[in-house]
Amino acid sequence: MSAHAHASEGHGHGHGHGGADHVPHVLPLPFYIGVWLALLVFTAITVAVSYVDFGIFNLVIALTVATMKAAMVSLIFMHLAFDKKFNGIIFVSSLVFLAIFIGFTMADTEGRGLAEGIEAKHPRDITNPFTGTEDEPLPGGATSAATSEAKSAAPSAGASPTQTPPAQGGGAASPAAGSPPAAGSNVAPGAGGAQPAAPQGETR
Amino acid sequence: MSASHSTAHAADTSKLSPQFHVAHHFDSADEQFDSAKLGVWLFLVTEILLFGGLFCAFAVFRSWHLEAFVSAHHHLDKVMGGINTVVLICSSLTMALGVRACQTNNQKQATAFLIATLLFAGAFLVIKYFEYSHKFHDGLLPGRYFTYAGAKYPDEKIFFGIYFMMTGIHGFHVVCGMVLIGWVLLRNMKGHFSSRYYVPVECVGLYWHLVDLVWIYLFPLLYLVG
Repeated sequence: MSAHAHASEGHGHGHGHGGADHVPHVLPLPFYIGVWLALLVFTAITVAVSYVDFGIFNLVIALTVATMKAAMVSLIFMHLAFDKKFNGIIFVSSLVFLAIFIGFTMADTEGRGLAEGIEAKHPRDITNPFTGTEDEPLPGGATSAATSEAKSAAPSAGASPTQTPPAQGGGAASPAAGSPPAAGSNVAPGAGGAQPAAPQGETR
Repeated sequence: MSASHSTAHAADTSKLSPQFHVAHHFDSADEQFDSAKLGVWLFLVTEILLFGGLFCAFAVFRSWHLEAFVSAHHHLDKVMGGINTVVLICSSLTMALGVRACQTNNQKQATAFLIATLLFAGAFLVIKYFEYSHKFHDGLLPGRYFTYAGAKYPDEKIFFGIYFMMTGIHGFHVVCGMVLIGWVLLRNMKGHFSSRYYVPVECVGLYWHLVDLVWIYLFPLLYLVG
């Protein structure tokens, strides 16, 4: 291998339109054979593991083994370990975007219907979202007056679509808070009656 | 590798890849080589994201129909899938050794390794053909073509939609890889490649290893875990 590095100084000038010849970085044969054997062993392991039921760990083991195999193929067979670092950065960045893609999609699809249940239990006035409710009073003295006001208004909010008026400072800025268009955009859609569990499960 | 080899190499260098030259917009042969590889790596990223979409679809449908997926994956033949995994791993080895043979100016060895890679790729497709025809015969097909009578869950047809789409697109990549390997094989037999110039072999090799990489994930997810 080092002989090649020295050879690059010794020959190759004057070809083409300039610059030395490309001199390949030749990996020793045992590298390739070793990776090949390791890939076969890992394949045998992952097949053997699939015959035993480890529950969720079957998936974890299978993906871990596959990732180790993928690392060996990319680092040795695809020469990433000895290559320009930029190629490796490109490859890894694609995996980062893949993780974002699949991770966020799964976070969405696994979390469907969760928000509706929580929102039904903790109705919030979206014109004044940081005001605490009966179930979950917010800490801090500044909002205590608003909390008590929301507490007193809570029963009427359940009975009619009319929302509680903005508790502090927003009264003049949004006079239409209690009118139908604003109410339609608020939590507790429709009549706003007691329907805490209704939205759950409909998305699947 | 040895000193005698490198001196012989230096003496012969004018005969190696005589048609090769550095294009005028590159400073050096190294820059030309690295640019070609960079381009292929960018292409491989688009391939990863193409298959990434399919893996994402697999993950979503698996989480929605977990029981059906686990039940359906038992219809796949682990042994055939495992043999195909071994076949692809061997083809990756012969491809890597084919590139190495070009790097070390061993034209005959490169021809042999590239032919071996083609044969392994062909074997993969033949095994895949037997698997597919078995599924066709049993009616284990996507969507409304799913006519298998013994299915425990009706949603098993979704698993086979994913299975045929993922393995089908992967199989298409295998066919494309065979065409590309055949192309560099012919050029190698014409004596185009040497340690001075082997970038097409290297780039086809990268593509072929990616096809192997995709299968490394497809096999456990579809055949083993379900």
